[in-house]
Amino acid sequence: MSFHRLLLFLLLFLIASPAFPQEKLVLRGQVMDAGNLQVLVGVNVYWEGKEQQGTATDLDGYFYIPATTLPAKIILSYLGYEKSIRIIQVRDLEKVQRFYLKAEDFSLEEVLIQEKRGDEQVKNLELGKSTLSMETLQSLPALFGEVDLLRSLQLLPGVKSAGEGTTGLFVRGGSADQNLVQVDGAPVYNASHFFGIFSVFNPDGIKKVDLYKGNMPASFGGRASSLIDVTLREGEKDRIQGEGGIGTISSRLTLQGPLLGKNSSFLISGRRTYADLFLKLSSNPDLKNNQLNFYDLNGKAAFSLNEKDKLSVSSYQGSDILGLSGQFGLGWKNWVSAVNWNRVNSDSSFFDLQAYHSRYSYQVKFDNDENGFDWTNSLSESGIKASWTRVLAPSTTLVWGAHGQLYHFAPSDLKPSPNNPINRRQTQGVQGVLGNAFVGLTREFTEKLSGELGLRQGVYAQLGAGKVYQYPGNDPNPDQEPSDSVFYNSADVMQRYQGLEPRIAFRYLLRPEFSLKLAYNRNFQYVQIASNSSAGLPIDRWVLAGQYIRPIKSDQISLGVFHNFDQNRWELSVEGYYKDLDQVIDLRNGARILLSDQVETELLSGRGWAYGAEFLLRKNKGKTTGWLAYTWSRAWRQIDGISKDRPYNPRFDRPHDVSLVLNHQFSPAWSSSLTFVYSTGQAVSFPVGSYLVDNQPVPLYSDYRNENRFPDYHRLDASVTWKNPDQGRKWKGSWNFGVYNLYGRKNPFSYDFRTVYNNQINYSPSDGKIVSARPGVVMTYLFTFLPSITYNFQF
Amino acid sequence: MKKIWIFLLLSLLFSSCQEEVVLDLDQKDSRVPVIEAHWTDQSVYNEVKISLSKNYYDSLDQELIRDADVFIKEQSTGRKIAFRYLEATRSYRTNPTERARVGETYQLNVTWKGQVFQSEGLMLEPPIVDSVVWNYEEKRLFRDEGYFVKVYGKIPFTENNYYRIRVIENDTLYNQPEDYLLFDDTFGLQVFEKGLELGYAFQENDRIRLELYRINKDVFDYLSQLVNLLFNDGGLFSPPPQNPKSNIKVVKGNSQVLGFFVVSPVLSRTLVISSK
Repeated sequence: MSFHRLLLFLLLFLIASPAFPQEKLVLRGQVMDAGNLQVLVGVNVYWEGKEQQGTATDLDGYFYIPATTLPAKIILSYLGYEKSIRIIQVRDLEKVQRFYLKAEDFSLEEVLIQEKRGDEQVKNLELGKSTLSMETLQSLPALFGEVDLLRSLQLLPGVKSAGEGTTGLFVRGGSADQNLVQVDGAPVYNASHFFGIFSVFNPDGIKKVDLYKGNMPASFGGRASSLIDVTLREGEKDRIQGEGGIGTISSRLTLQGPLLGKNSSFLISGRRTYADLFLKLSSNPDLKNNQLNFYDLNGKAAFSLNEKDKLSVSSYQGSDILGLSGQFGLGWKNWVSAVNWNRVNSDSSFFDLQAYHSRYSYQVKFDNDENGFDWTNSLSESGIKASWTRVLAPSTTLVWGAHGQLYHFAPSDLKPSPNNPINRRQTQGVQGVLGNAFVGLTREFTEKLSGELGLRQGVYAQLGAGKVYQYPGNDPNPDQEPSDSVFYNSADVMQRYQGLEPRIAFRYLLRPEFSLKLAYNRNFQYVQIASNSSAGLPIDRWVLAGQYIRPIKSDQISLGVFHNFDQNRWELSVEGYYKDLDQVIDLRNGARILLSDQVETELLSGRGWAYGAEFLLRKNKGKTTGWLAYTWSRAWRQIDGISKDRPYNPRFDRPHDVSLVLNHQFSPAWSSSLTFVYSTGQAVSFPVGSYLVDNQPVPLYSDYRNENRFPDYHRLDASVTWKNPDQGRKWKGSWNFGVYNLYGRKNPFSYDFRTVYNNQINYSPSDGKIVSARPGVVMTYLFTFLPSITYNFQF
Repeated sequence: MKKIWIFLLLSLLFSSCQEEVVLDLDQKDSRVPVIEAHWTDQSVYNEVKISLSKNYYDSLDQELIRDADVFIKEQSTGRKIAFRYLEATRSYRTNPTERARVGETYQLNVTWKGQVFQSEGLMLEPPIVDSVVWNYEEKRLFRDEGYFVKVYGKIPFTENNYYRIRVIENDTLYNQPEDYLLFDDTFGLQVFEKGLELGYAFQENDRIRLELYRINKDVFDYLSQLVNLLFNDGGLFSPPPQNPKSNIKVVKGNSQVLGFFVVSPVLSRTLVISSK
């Protein structure tokens, strides 16, 4: 049986349930905080006496629960809130019921760190998904006191960092550009500030982040390795409120409140660094005139149009500016906007429509009459996505929809200043369009067995206008000139690809608190970065699939066991995975990519694979919370032309990886956090000798890539938070004191193999007379015992 | 350029620190021959240096190969130009009357211990250098104050436009990684007509020699990759380090070979900086 037929068979099998009920059998409701009218996510909802068959509210506070014999009592429970019990009659099924939960008095005994149902990880169908709540995120010790979303995700199992001080994520053996980072559904193309030391997300503006490590629902796709789905916060609806923080290198301010009455709200959040303000204090005029800053600004307006319709508009803008003496500058900027419309057609039918636009641009400028230039580039993605959800039966939900994406990569344009004799250099722009149709069916077969089958079909076309070069032997190669070129007119299809992406998941409940899950997932990726350094640069070149660059295909199979114990206080999970990647690219030696129209001549492509096991023990309730994660994993690439065509490990292959995160609440005023990370050192190439050529001592490398290792990486961070326990006051302040790398471990950032003159590592031949010269190794390390202090406030 | 930024950023903002360490490095089972051959239209430059690679930490002088059989073959005539080892120059030299002729393809042949290495290069026509002038410039961004030299000339070629300039000041070759001046026609060659400025602030009475080479693409690629490697700091922003791709092939034997064979015309000028 072919694979497609098997899928069809499975689909029919899943749908072939007893006849669909004609009458409305579902109770639908929305749950809000009685005080501030904010929707509550993850509230447990169940019929009295049927606690095991409950559900939980979704992101918008909605829940749908199959009706029982009515009248009956529905119970809503949520940590930190008083339980709500209401008698439901048959007529109540006709429309959405609203529930308002009252917050309990602050209780020391139960500190909530997760907005989710206690037994969710055992019961749901999700494998390889992690959710990080903002409470958890904000309690972690942070580099420079800057709470950082992407860096915090590195503490989760299966997520690797390439090295010290970078926010690039490498998920289950995938490269950093194989992660789809999206904000309210819109993609962010460069999620980093300061060359990746910080990520673009201002934590105050974020509601939550979900990380899908390859196993994503059919409604998402487009990247081979992971989805990092960031949801921006909505504003409070009752009154204007503010919060913010003053930190070591940046300050933040967030304002929120009702917009046009009680049915709409706004939230606006900003952050700016002030490293360059300190530069102004410098007595060195060269430093004084330099610029070095970044900012983030995000906003969201939400409107409840009526009982059925909700509209939200969100936007993020962030930029980095690095300037030298007002003459030389490098800047880059993301601008991402999204509109989301959610409609409740009936108690069992919902519709979501989303439109977005994401633009990334950079500029390098040198203001000089004779040697100056202005180099700009931008790329954008626009998309529209519609999805319908239908509860077919109490145990069966169908989701289907379509997602259209338009990529526009503008020409990279280097314009010399008027008297600069170099020629202007401009690459050709490229366009691509990707249409996706998806359908996903979730069905609970029995109380123990549930399954999800998803299909996503993508059809991609690279569009003109544009020129495609032809090469002798169809072999793009820098050593031969193109034999011909073909020009395509505007909107002509230059190359077409399509791919079916099946997503299958099953969960079997061995015991109420113990489940087994299995999943298979395929993804295609039509856009990637042509780079072979491990950390992203703002000027990295994104390339679209075309005649010579094929889309990346990833297949992942994963298996997991999930166990909760001690009344869901503890969660334990063990997941294993194997991932296969096809058509991953790397660069030839000395590749020149940035201003070339023949990128294909500089690329090599091949395959990759990764496997591993991830253990996670997590404590969610009590005075002490946190988790211990251990990952054993390997990542491989095999690309003809690299490492003598033999498999090699990418730099981020770090087999052993441990993260320990602990939070402890000592009293209403004092709390502390501690994180410890350990991982195998990065896979790198060290010289195996040296030689003299062209009067240069040159390190000699093996033909095999990354056969050496940095020393193991480990680090302990700690922070203490003091907040004024007087809850009645309007202005609430808290102080956070943190130390990054508490015991001062010198984790190497790089090893430079260079000649050491006069036994001084920073002595250069231009500094004066040379007495001695010998080969040496100079280690650079970044952060040792780095304290920080942040004042946070709310009003 | 990216390096400037990364280092600026790291040094300005963060407590980045450096120290010398000793790593336990792997060693090659056998030493690799390194061939560096220059074949030009000026006999002073014509030589073949052959040495062996060494372990990384060895600070001994390079080990020379003195017993190789070396010749360059003129492909159109099949004539062999023999080279022999001279201790005075620690390299293989030939008769000073032998020089590369424009339009001719030359094949380097090195035989050592049963191994045969070969490479080929085309002798290209040199560009035209009209004048070399210097001017005093005040301090600018990225440039100190001093006398800056500009080379004016003409490059009338539509292909094989790969050039290297070497600068020798008072008998010292500018030889740091940032001193490699390599250019091709990616950004056009008008810069040569309007005056190519060398990035050095010279002082009065400095004696400067400039050498302009028109090299083959494989040598240009080799030198570009060499510069990339010399700038590779082993950090996250650097690509994985790789040996530059040699244009010398092993035609017999199973050894590796390093180095390059350059066939090029050389235009040289010597000037003494004086205030005008």
